[in-house]
Amino acid sequence: MRRNTGDHVLAAVPLAWLAVLFLVPLGFTLVYSFGTSGFGSVTLGFSLDNYAQALGPLYLQTFLRTLAFAVGTSIACLLFAYPVAYAIARRSGRFTVVAFALILVPYLASLLIRVMSWQILLAQGGPLERILRAVGLLRSPLTVLDSLPAVVIGTLAVYLPIAVIALTVVLDRIPPEVVEASQDLGARPSSTFWTVIVPLSRPGVATAALLTTVPMLGELVIPVLLGGNKGLFLAQAISTQYAQSQNYALGSAMVVLLVIAVGVIVALLVRLTRGFDAAGAERGAG
Amino acid sequence: MTAPLVQAPVRRPSVRAARLATAVALWVWYGLAAVFLFAPIATAIAYSFNEGVAGKQTSAFTGFSWSWYAQAFTDPTVRQATETSLRVAFWAAVIAVVIGTILGFELVRNPSRVVRRLLAGLTYILLIVPETVLGVSLLLFYTQTRIPLSEFTLVAALTPPSISVVAFVVRARMLTLDPSVEDAAADLGASRLATLRLIVLPQLVPAIGAAALIAYTFAFDNVVIANFLSTPVVNVLTVYLYGTLQYGATPAVYATTTIVFLATIVVLAVAATLLRTTLRLRGRIR
Repeated sequence: MRRNTGDHVLAAVPLAWLAVLFLVPLGFTLVYSFGTSGFGSVTLGFSLDNYAQALGPLYLQTFLRTLAFAVGTSIACLLFAYPVAYAIARRSGRFTVVAFALILVPYLASLLIRVMSWQILLAQGGPLERILRAVGLLRSPLTVLDSLPAVVIGTLAVYLPIAVIALTVVLDRIPPEVVEASQDLGARPSSTFWTVIVPLSRPGVATAALLTTVPMLGELVIPVLLGGNKGLFLAQAISTQYAQSQNYALGSAMVVLLVIAVGVIVALLVRLTRGFDAAGAERGAG
Repeated sequence: MTAPLVQAPVRRPSVRAARLATAVALWVWYGLAAVFLFAPIATAIAYSFNEGVAGKQTSAFTGFSWSWYAQAFTDPTVRQATETSLRVAFWAAVIAVVIGTILGFELVRNPSRVVRRLLAGLTYILLIVPETVLGVSLLLFYTQTRIPLSEFTLVAALTPPSISVVAFVVRARMLTLDPSVEDAAADLGASRLATLRLIVLPQLVPAIGAAALIAYTFAFDNVVIANFLSTPVVNVLTVYLYGTLQYGATPAVYATTTIVFLATIVVLAVAATLLRTTLRLRGRIR
């Protein structure tokens, strides 16, 4: 009995802290999203005007572009990462640690150092343009910077390690006996890959998709630094509402839409893996 | 593994050749990924020595210079922002470690299944909610409750994501601890608090140390949350650098991030060593 109360008091500490700094602020955002905005002040009420505006002609495109960007870049990231993770997990022999560390070290560097250099690499007269010209792949000046492709390249570079880590962990755990069994039964290496490895790596694919798509939906820094700060994506639109227009109500509605988009994607991925994440959480907690 | 009974024991040469080709393709792909990830970091380091034009960074390398490092160390703004960053990151890490450790412990040991699931849900949500959502919600919360933005509000804002990371690291270690040892201590008359202090905490120390360093680097490197909650008075290094990068950076910015990168690698190498000690301990116990 004494033990129970002690544990509940302990559990109340993180709960209270996170309630004040996470749940209550989110509640504020939800409430304010239904308010009516003046400059820097909000009259609370129940109005759907902010949502109408956030999904209206001006911002609907931004919302859809953000969704397409996050899903598309995440898929590209997974396609890029899968062979890398496969090489590390199943073909690196005694160099596994080195091969893994080489991918991990860039991930540990700060976001700014990994993003800002693309401003130089992709710029006109920059290193990439010189290399492409020297090889003869490019005649005209390189005009990638301050556009969507530059944002995609920068985002791929930032999120690739996360995808590789999530996939490697799962690919590494596939028992060699399963692969040997399929070979003994006469499967060619390619059919072993498609019928044994790929299905067994599904939890890793889902985790990697989750850990890339969700933060990409809210990505702010990379589009600002590489996309020419043209307000390409939702996070920039939100940031503008708060920092410049002082339209907190509209900004809050956009945040709520962003959270809904995140929720839908998480739900889809959890369903795709037949509740893998929930089962894992329960096992871990129990 | 025994030789397959039906098939010929020696693989056909065509299969072997295909296997070799696959391996080569995989490692070429891996090499591309490594180059893609290291190119920006190498560029940042190289261009921190670039002379630039009229004090601005340029995409072409105009000449070698050490002077930006001297400037990075003497510039009063950089200096002050770095001091603020170090202080903010320190306190954020301290709070995140205390609360995250309690959370990680209760995720495993709380007697109530409902509480465990509630805490686990909260921890998972924190891990995936986009930083933009957190930053903006907290800004709204602070301004509407008229809590003035200060160093403390920034510290508090940086804790929620760190808390969930610390909780996961501590939880992983907790899962390897045998609860019957704690029961034995209780049977021998130790209070719950004494059990925690004398039995549980000492075994968690390496995990907590590693988690602390991860929390510290997270808080130090954070751009998005800090961007919403910093003020002209409370200016952290990342936000200062982020601002300069939007309006034409000096090579001194590259020198500063290079120094930060090297310092981060050292700190995280210590964290990795601590984690490895934890894993080795776990191996011995099992």
